[in-house]
Amino acid sequence: MVSGTCGSGKTTLAMEFLVRGALSGEACAHFTATEPSVKLLENIRQFAFFNMNMIDDGLINVFDMDVLYSWLGLDKATFDLDDVHALIKAIVDIVNTIGVTRLVVDSVTTLCYKIKSEQLIRDFLFTLGKKLSTLGCTTLLISEITSASENAHWSSFGVEEAIADGIIVMGDVERMGHLLRFLQVVKMRGTAHSRAKHSIELTPLGVMLTPMLKWGAMSDKQSRWGS
Amino acid sequence: MNKQIKFSLEDEEFFGSVGSFGVPKFDLAMRGGIPRGFLVVAFAEVGCGSDLFAKQFTSPAEEPDNTILISTNESQLEIARVFKKYGWPTDIGVRTLGEEYNAKVLEKELLASRYRLEGFKLNDIQRLAQTRFVDDDTQDFLTDMTNEIMAMGPYFRAVIDSLDFFMTRDDPYRVMSMLRMMQAHTQLSRGILFITVSNNSISPAVKQEMSSIADMVCDFKVRTIGSDFETSMIISKFRNAPENLSIMVYRVTPEEGITPETVERIA
Repeated sequence: MVSGTCGSGKTTLAMEFLVRGALSGEACAHFTATEPSVKLLENIRQFAFFNMNMIDDGLINVFDMDVLYSWLGLDKATFDLDDVHALIKAIVDIVNTIGVTRLVVDSVTTLCYKIKSEQLIRDFLFTLGKKLSTLGCTTLLISEITSASENAHWSSFGVEEAIADGIIVMGDVERMGHLLRFLQVVKMRGTAHSRAKHSIELTPLGVMLTPMLKWGAMSDKQSRWGS
Repeated sequence: MNKQIKFSLEDEEFFGSVGSFGVPKFDLAMRGGIPRGFLVVAFAEVGCGSDLFAKQFTSPAEEPDNTILISTNESQLEIARVFKKYGWPTDIGVRTLGEEYNAKVLEKELLASRYRLEGFKLNDIQRLAQTRFVDDDTQDFLTDMTNEIMAMGPYFRAVIDSLDFFMTRDDPYRVMSMLRMMQAHTQLSRGILFITVSNNSISPAVKQEMSSIADMVCDFKVRTIGSDFETSMIISKFRNAPENLSIMVYRVTPEEGITPETVERIA
């Protein structure tokens, strides 16, 4: 799960994840519910290592959730159990049929807003995650949060983080009048990983990470030399 | 409604102050026909022949371009067959909302059920990945139909058969609002609007409101006498002409369509 505040670079990170996969010949899929696929495909062109053949050859498949909802008769305000199952079946079908190994759902928050019960959200994410992992598909569920501070939840509904194998948090820190983007791996099941915050830069060469010096994350008073 | 319509003398002469029902004997019974600007509401029962009467009502088609039959239950083919059978003009406008609904709503629902049940095939997925926008084919049939009537010119003749389609899909009070708009337009443009609705599809309150909006109210009845059916029409309201209130027994003949057998005054 990639959780982050608005403008923290979640979608860009997810797109790079897909483009890198496509570069190594993997079939990738992106389900977008937050912005139209046309806009997304425009933005993806910024990567120097992206080329349109990845789309034409079917290595990167971008699906508009609105279109998927419409095709499944789900163009309604809230989803019930049957609708949730239909959605899981459709996503799993797509992953299975075209052999997707890298998948992005952007964002799971937008999608879960249509599911009114917390239990149903949990079932949806758990079942989807289980089925996709069985198919050998690595999935990035993008989650929108309003704050990436220490006391914040890592997800909007609080249930997404419990079923995810890994949690990457993205946000902004203010430092000397600048808003710096950061990335922090909070959880990654079965791996030894750094839990430090990393400063990130979104460049045409991809997402660049730099370790964030500890003093940089503190308040101005504490970060002065000799204090 | 501040709209003003100017009528030419030529039109006034041609159309006159009353129009035909499409049934000469009814015209006679109603002392010449139906006054221009009237909204006629027909409350129907199953098997009473109101569908046929609705089609027959368009048959005078003084101006075929300005005459429309909006059917919610029948297909274009069925309607054309009936018009040909009775020799009624086939150059009027015909809109079949039932067919449109089937094509735009039901077919989409059927496809969605197929996707949900059987899943996506590879070519479906390829098409899905290439579809960037949702087809905005959601249609408000009620507004669409009202607009169509409101766009008709002076001395139009229109039939809506029947309002049941809207009563079961829309808020009846929204249907009433649209009906009021159509009634005002009909009056202003000296048109004639004939609407059928089943008794079973509306509540007594809605029936009461429809009756008060309408200028003329007909109740189509069917009853059994021995081993026969007897169909009758009760004219229970005729604005400013109570002498026209009557009960008419009618039958269907291959030559004339619906035609009254007897005329009986009840007021």
